[in-house]
Amino acid sequence: MTKYLIKRLLHGLVSVVIVVACVMVMIYSLMDRNLIFAQDSNYSHQSNNQKKAYMYAKWETYGYLDYVTYADYLLSLTQSGEIDEETRTKAVGFGRTKEDDSELVSEYVKKFTEYYKSKGYKIVRLDAVMMGTKKYANGGQQQLFAYKNVSLLKRMWNYFSNIITIDSINSVPDIEGDRGLTFTLYDPVYGGDKFSPAIIGNGTQHKYLLYFDNKFPYLHQNIISINLGKSYTVNEGIDVAITMSRAQGSYVKSMITYPSGLTEMSADDLHTATYMAGSLDTSMVHADRFVDHYTNVDTVKNGKSKVGYSFTIGVIAVILSYLIGVPLGILMARKKDKLIDQLGTVYIVFIIAVPSLAYIFLFKAIGGKLGLPTTFDMESTSKLMYILPIVSLALPSIANLMKWLRRYMIDQMNSDYVKFARSGGLTEGEIFTKHILKNAAIPIVQGIPANVLFALTGAIITERVYVVPGAGNLLTEAINKYDNGVIVGVTLFYALLSVVSIILGDILMSMVDPRISFSTKDR
Amino acid sequence: MNYDYDKFGLSEDELFSQIDHSSLESEKITAPRYSYWHSVFRVFFKKKINIVILSLLGVILAFTYIYPMFVEYDRFSNLLNASAKHLGPLQAMKTMGYNIHWILGAGASGQSTFDAIWFGSRISVSLALICALINLTVGVIVGAVWGFSKKVDIIMMEVYNIIGNVPYILLISVLVLIFSPSFTTMVFALTITGWLSIAFFIRTQVVIIRDREYNLASKCLGTSIFRIAMKNILPFMTSVIVTLAATEIPSYISYEVFLAYIGMGLSDMSLGRLIYEAESAMMTPGWGFEFWSPVAVASIITVVLYVVGQNLGDASDPRTHM
Repeated sequence: MTKYLIKRLLHGLVSVVIVVACVMVMIYSLMDRNLIFAQDSNYSHQSNNQKKAYMYAKWETYGYLDYVTYADYLLSLTQSGEIDEETRTKAVGFGRTKEDDSELVSEYVKKFTEYYKSKGYKIVRLDAVMMGTKKYANGGQQQLFAYKNVSLLKRMWNYFSNIITIDSINSVPDIEGDRGLTFTLYDPVYGGDKFSPAIIGNGTQHKYLLYFDNKFPYLHQNIISINLGKSYTVNEGIDVAITMSRAQGSYVKSMITYPSGLTEMSADDLHTATYMAGSLDTSMVHADRFVDHYTNVDTVKNGKSKVGYSFTIGVIAVILSYLIGVPLGILMARKKDKLIDQLGTVYIVFIIAVPSLAYIFLFKAIGGKLGLPTTFDMESTSKLMYILPIVSLALPSIANLMKWLRRYMIDQMNSDYVKFARSGGLTEGEIFTKHILKNAAIPIVQGIPANVLFALTGAIITERVYVVPGAGNLLTEAINKYDNGVIVGVTLFYALLSVVSIILGDILMSMVDPRISFSTKDR
Repeated sequence: MNYDYDKFGLSEDELFSQIDHSSLESEKITAPRYSYWHSVFRVFFKKKINIVILSLLGVILAFTYIYPMFVEYDRFSNLLNASAKHLGPLQAMKTMGYNIHWILGAGASGQSTFDAIWFGSRISVSLALICALINLTVGVIVGAVWGFSKKVDIIMMEVYNIIGNVPYILLISVLVLIFSPSFTTMVFALTITGWLSIAFFIRTQVVIIRDREYNLASKCLGTSIFRIAMKNILPFMTSVIVTLAATEIPSYISYEVFLAYIGMGLSDMSLGRLIYEAESAMMTPGWGFEFWSPVAVASIITVVLYVVGQNLGDASDPRTHM
């Protein structure tokens, strides 16, 4: 059994990798990369060479290509100690055209060209665009840079090798003080008096590696972090996993004692401090509060995360749909062709045939008439606003459950074991609950893990119609804003969920039905 | 002898009774004539409700395809007329005159909602019919091969696992962005992977029927695979395919509405786009007509198509012909 499941899981992970590869080909190779500038006002304000250079720089941040300017190259040479600062300053100013280069400059330009050509880069030199003899046209300064498209394999490798990062004491270069971990029984965040064990690192990305607080699950870690891909437009510079799981809403302030001893009302969560090089010296705000460069802190907010809202609504809807759909399905099968069956069929036809958008708006209009809040408000403490999204999600899945349970039960009703049970003198009620339901429920059980897990991803239309700040719209938002990082990250998340939910479904099915076994060899 | 026949689940007709011998009658072959399609339509039209729904479908199709041929529709013809915008049916008819164009009021740019709906549904219904036709044809053929061949099964299961996990919205939007949001692009986007789920469904059905005893017997008697597929399996699948078509066609209309709503739909005036553009009017008092009428028409079209298809599917199942 375990061996079989591990094999299935590995098989699933391979398909996940291929799915990610397909998606990467789709968005990086098939889609016109000029589209990302469609809504970019910076782009439309620029012209001539500057615009071109901006395009390449942007493409680099979006992950299409590697882009190195001549100035960057000289800077890296200076840093590695190959040339000194003086030479760099002289060499960096290349001429308007190739003929205008000084001797020193043309030497380094040649070096730059040869170095990057040998690595497979393409060199672009844009001559200055002039408006007269001396005056540059708008954005017409000369440009020199090298670029190389990132290949699919390299992109895949970079992506998958960075998915899980483990924080170590060597994560951050150039730190002050000794690298190492300290274990304390009295967490300084709570003033140093309260008993609360924590592991604090120096040289690690996160300051607090392991700590306790008053939120579920009470013990938190920062050692292993998951990176699904950086966002560029949806939530700039933030990883998809954090975008999905970070709390939203307004700040919750409380009395905070900063490492420097300063105490004030603030929403900062000191446990989330990460290293930001040089931040202590550059900002007065940081200098007042912190004693080291671990100054980048997250804030405490009153709302749930995107996934949190989606999951709360989704899971309640799933539970409700099983609680209501299963008994109704049984009832329809038992009273086949009676009034209740016909009413149920009308309802099922309504849900299947009417566009989902239409009935969600219908529920919204009816709910609004009944006085329920029709839009979601994170600041409100009222639980009433959850009702309509939950109902809108639950009603279709109730119909679906009813449809299939009725179908499966009616199929079972004519089988031999039912006739045998009837001839044995069992009552109809006993036959239904003890024989038919048990057999009809097997395929239903298989879908439970998928329903629960996919509650995490949220529902696109429902969340949009009721303005729920959930995860459902993340993919559509990312597509509309050409945020490649988010698209890939969300796809990976969906694909993993579907692989895991199918396997969990099979396990659950084999637990319910002892006849199903995965330990036997494939036949 | 008066038995309570109901207790045994029998009717009086099922019991033996004595019949006089007639030498003329005994010469006739008494097996009833059976024609498959004849029986399908006999069973279908036996239900009176089907005739009502079928005529409703006829009316809808007439409005969808014939009405736009005789009517000029220009969305912006009333654009400059400030008093023609967002009108309810009564007001619109009072302002523009009492004719069929204004029975559903006027929309945001003073256009006739009624005309807009039928021009929109022509696009939506055509899209659904074409997509369903392509997906069903490809899906049934591929599904049949998939079900028959065990080698193909191994490869296709992998393909299914991979393509099934690529988000559908992503695929459609990438295609829409590569090309343009035109009708052909939409058909292409909805069919490029749409056949896969149908093929999988058919594959499962074929696998179930493939190894039944009568097919085994057929094989032993030397029937070719092609003949088995055409004569033994395809008739069994007719009702499944018709039922599948019944669910597929409305689902493309729903899907088009959904895509338009999330901003990835057609650039043409489809039903989905009408709903999407009128969404803001839903909550405004007095403007409700321009939102609810396309929603209602889309729902009626899908429900009618679904019910006709389902009942036709029931009728095409030979077990109902007795």
